[in-house]
Amino acid sequence: MEFKLRPARDHGLETADRLRSLSRERGLGSLVLGRAWRAALRGYLAAFHRLEVTGRENLPEPPFVLIANHTSHLDALTLSGVLRGEAARRAHALAAGDTFFGSTLSSAFAAYAVNALPVWRKRTKAGELATLRERLVEDRLVYILFPEGTRARDGRMAAFQPGIGVLVAGTEVPVVPAFLDGCHAAWPPERRYPAPRKLRLAIGAPLRFADVPATRAGWEDAARRCESAVRALMPHAS
Amino acid sequence: MMREAVFAHPVTVGIVAATVAVVLVAGAVIGAMTLAGRGTPELRRELWLRTGSWCLLLPLMMGPVLLGREWVIGAVTLLGLACLREFDRATGLFREPLVAGLVVLGILAANFAALDHWYGFFVALWPLTVGVIVIGTIPRDRPQGYVQRVALGIFAYMLFGAGLAHLSFMANEPGYRPILLMLLTTVALSDVAAFTFGKLIGGPKLLPTTSPNKSIAGAVGSLCVTTLLVATLSFFIFRDTPMAQPHWLLVFGVIVGIGAQAGDLMLSSIKRDIGIKDMGTILPGHGGVLDRFNSLLLVAPAAFHFIQFFVGFGMGQPVRLITGG
Repeated sequence: MEFKLRPARDHGLETADRLRSLSRERGLGSLVLGRAWRAALRGYLAAFHRLEVTGRENLPEPPFVLIANHTSHLDALTLSGVLRGEAARRAHALAAGDTFFGSTLSSAFAAYAVNALPVWRKRTKAGELATLRERLVEDRLVYILFPEGTRARDGRMAAFQPGIGVLVAGTEVPVVPAFLDGCHAAWPPERRYPAPRKLRLAIGAPLRFADVPATRAGWEDAARRCESAVRALMPHAS
Repeated sequence: MMREAVFAHPVTVGIVAATVAVVLVAGAVIGAMTLAGRGTPELRRELWLRTGSWCLLLPLMMGPVLLGREWVIGAVTLLGLACLREFDRATGLFREPLVAGLVVLGILAANFAALDHWYGFFVALWPLTVGVIVIGTIPRDRPQGYVQRVALGIFAYMLFGAGLAHLSFMANEPGYRPILLMLLTTVALSDVAAFTFGKLIGGPKLLPTTSPNKSIAGAVGSLCVTTLLVATLSFFIFRDTPMAQPHWLLVFGVIVGIGAQAGDLMLSSIKRDIGIKDMGTILPGHGGVLDRFNSLLLVAPAAFHFIQFFVGFGMGQPVRLITGG
């Protein structure tokens, strides 16, 4: 990659705005903190949840979008914990703005440790999705996202929203489906803290949507294909 | 290491008292302007913002100098790191975290050498750190962008590590307080003087493409004020040393005056090249840390080596306090 004499995309933003900005680019501090956080996270997942990962070889080089079913706050942590090297450094979890970016303190944690980007439920503007899509391709990022849009309160996977299609339709960026098993039992929404239950993560072969048109029908089609790829990784499906 | 009482030197007392007085007078003048409705609201707002930021900055700058040697070195280290952060985010060097990390290590090492009072290491760090930056990214086997990332890394280390750390090393002189306070205040004053002369006299621009707001009148006025002030204060600070001759004192004043304005123009050139107005947003009315401290970057090593030539720093003080030897 050539060097570009170009300021950070978030240059000129006040600190609080920068933490919540979709244009936030990570610097050295964020990389060091993120690395320490991931090391602690991996230790925790191995010791407390005996995390078992299959299909790691399916993870491509960045950019890509890693999607999974969503039942608990452990999900994003687990997915960001299993990434390594360049993919881990470029990974952004797309997190609910109202949950993780409420106060400046929680924004600072979400931004610096988890490297999350806020997505505002029910009021995600078309421009925000366009920014995310542009950065995914240009900055060669990795997005961790849950196309159901919210945690399944009963642990059963819901239908995927078309937003995933908006991000990748017509691009070469692969989508990697994954299925997380055990997160709901370990940390259901009504529990305050997680329980030491076993977690299993199955990572499937990447899907590509270069030929899918950037239309409503195309986005919905992409979402459906993503959903069935994740369902195919469910333990009982095999 | 020998330590002097905080207000042992009359110049220290004078500068601190004068600074407090200037801020109070500035507040009173702008207050009177506001009451009398003089000047445009935009000008008054800018003056208030700048004065308010100074009220926050002055204690942060002068406090460590008054508190002691280790405080100075700590503050200069933090200043160097803060400048690096703004610089790397503005130039895109932050996208090369390995180079940025090596510059961080260089800044820490240069200030450690000052803390250790080990001049040999302090001087050696310049070529050694450059060598490390040059070698650093070769093993990645990614020659694309090599010249740019290495050049920016060396540029950053020169300014915020090797350059700024001269202020740290000055603190090894027991009587460092009046010297550092003089540099900090005259360099800041050079900026204010250029602004004031420019507004009062106006006239042709200095380098309109680089910095559209600076006029020749402002630059000349500021250079005269800074030169005379530095020469006068240095007369009291370096009395009874070989430097205390009128021509050397005036040369020293010119070095500080030119260094301060050159630092300012250097940052303007960087910003124009990249196409940004300010380096950051942390100081209302000033912009970023670099927008405020740019004038100090080139003055620090120049002033250090001029004084070193005649007087020296920390002569007769114990050396290698931490590493021994």
